[in-house]
Amino acid sequence: MENILEINGLNKAYDGFALKDVSFSLPKGFIMGFVGENGSGKTTTIRSILNMAKIDSGKIAVFGLDSVSDTIEIKERLGVVFDSLYLAEHLNVKQIEQQLKPFYKDWDSEEFFRRIKEFDLPDNKKVGDFSKGMKMKLMIAIALSHKAELIILDEPTSGLDPVARDELLDILTEYIENENRGVLFSTHITADVERIADYVTILHNGKVWYTGTKDELAEGYAVIKGAENDIPSEMKAKLIGFHAYRNGFDALIKTDDLAGIPDTLEYEKASIDEILVYIAKEDKYEKNERHS
Amino acid sequence: MKRMKDILKVMKFDFLTAKPLAFRAFIIVAVICFVLSLFFSPLISSYITFVALIFVIPLQSVADKCGFNKLYGILPVKRKNITRARFLYVFLAHFLSELLEGVLAVIAFNLKMYKVLPNQDGEAVQLIKKSFEDTTLIYVMIIGVFAFFCLLFSYMEMLAQIFGRENEMKIILITLGVMTAAAILLSVLNSYDMLPPINVPKLPEDIGGRAIFAAVLNIVVLGICLLFGEITASRLAKREL
Repeated sequence: MENILEINGLNKAYDGFALKDVSFSLPKGFIMGFVGENGSGKTTTIRSILNMAKIDSGKIAVFGLDSVSDTIEIKERLGVVFDSLYLAEHLNVKQIEQQLKPFYKDWDSEEFFRRIKEFDLPDNKKVGDFSKGMKMKLMIAIALSHKAELIILDEPTSGLDPVARDELLDILTEYIENENRGVLFSTHITADVERIADYVTILHNGKVWYTGTKDELAEGYAVIKGAENDIPSEMKAKLIGFHAYRNGFDALIKTDDLAGIPDTLEYEKASIDEILVYIAKEDKYEKNERHS
Repeated sequence: MKRMKDILKVMKFDFLTAKPLAFRAFIIVAVICFVLSLFFSPLISSYITFVALIFVIPLQSVADKCGFNKLYGILPVKRKNITRARFLYVFLAHFLSELLEGVLAVIAFNLKMYKVLPNQDGEAVQLIKKSFEDTTLIYVMIIGVFAFFCLLFSYMEMLAQIFGRENEMKIILITLGVMTAAAILLSVLNSYDMLPPINVPKLPEDIGGRAIFAAVLNIVVLGICLLFGEITASRLAKREL
């Protein structure tokens, strides 16, 4: 499979935060959910892909091109949707189209206005007065109008109502029907990832915690519950985000590590949301262990 | 060639950003200047420079408010060309208003519309008539106002982009302070005859000479604007968006 996006050994340090050896790839024709708690480094990774952040080391290839030296060519073929609108808010859709058209060789005005109509966006209203959902759709219409082969979305669904979220996800699903395209979709609303992503990358504290298919992730982890005394001693070290309470405990565990589990312990498949929660708990647990 | 194309695209982008905010004000100021300069004094045509300012002033605040940094990060244009374009845009806005002022002044001088005003022998009309006789003053005003505002706004743009809008006023006040101190020092030295005599060249009298002088001044101003743009672009290129 040809990768539309490939990140290898990305390092980027700021005061108090760093991306450490981030590596993952997205094959053509798929949607990747890029998840992690706030401050995990999702936006910094996206800014690095866009060459908006200057990376310390590593290599990022988009369409097989280098993200630094070929950034202009990449941006011709890339659509980006941020969590907030990046356009002049006093302009209407027609004026925005006039502004952006000259920048893209493949800009298709007919396609743009067809999308505007399809998305029910008014063409004579100031874009600053649009609802959040309408702003997202406008940014997607822009991406589709210059025939973007890869769309990167940074937290597009946060703050959207369920109907607008659903519409946005449908648009992305339709977009990816062309198998030469790709979508990288950063979010902390994991239900969206569960719904449309084929691949998942989980970022935690600036490091890749998991990258692979969504199905492998779903199969790979389970939430285990029961009485703390029933945990075999060799299993305890394998528990992630161990949380003891008055009547027992719960934790995340790799399904491969479930062999030999006593009948007294219960387990069930972990959702992405639960995985994120247990990863965060693991940090707290480790800190507490260190302190005690 | 590619660089120039990109700069032109960004200038068009800036113009389209400012146009809806500036167009009404432009029409009002232009019509007022046109009428007043035709009937009362060609000097008034130099106020059209304010039209240029109307097209320049909103840009930075719109960029700040609307998160253009993100847009600049995704447009397929080099960051340096985005910055260079802004400075060329500032120059062009002032240059076009200078041209407009020149044309308007020539029309006003030729039509001498003050002749249709009542009470031709009155003191007011005589004063108005006088202003239609001095072509040197209007010439100096047009090119002077152009050069002053164009350089001032390019300088302010450079400060705003490098140091941020919040620090811009502080730096302008420091600059004005230094310039005032220098002017006071020079005048003190001059009053004690401590400065060598400076021969200020006279303005050319003929139309050809004036046109050449104006062209040279415009080129110098353009050069300074481009220099400010280059300084700003190289400083900003090191920063992240």
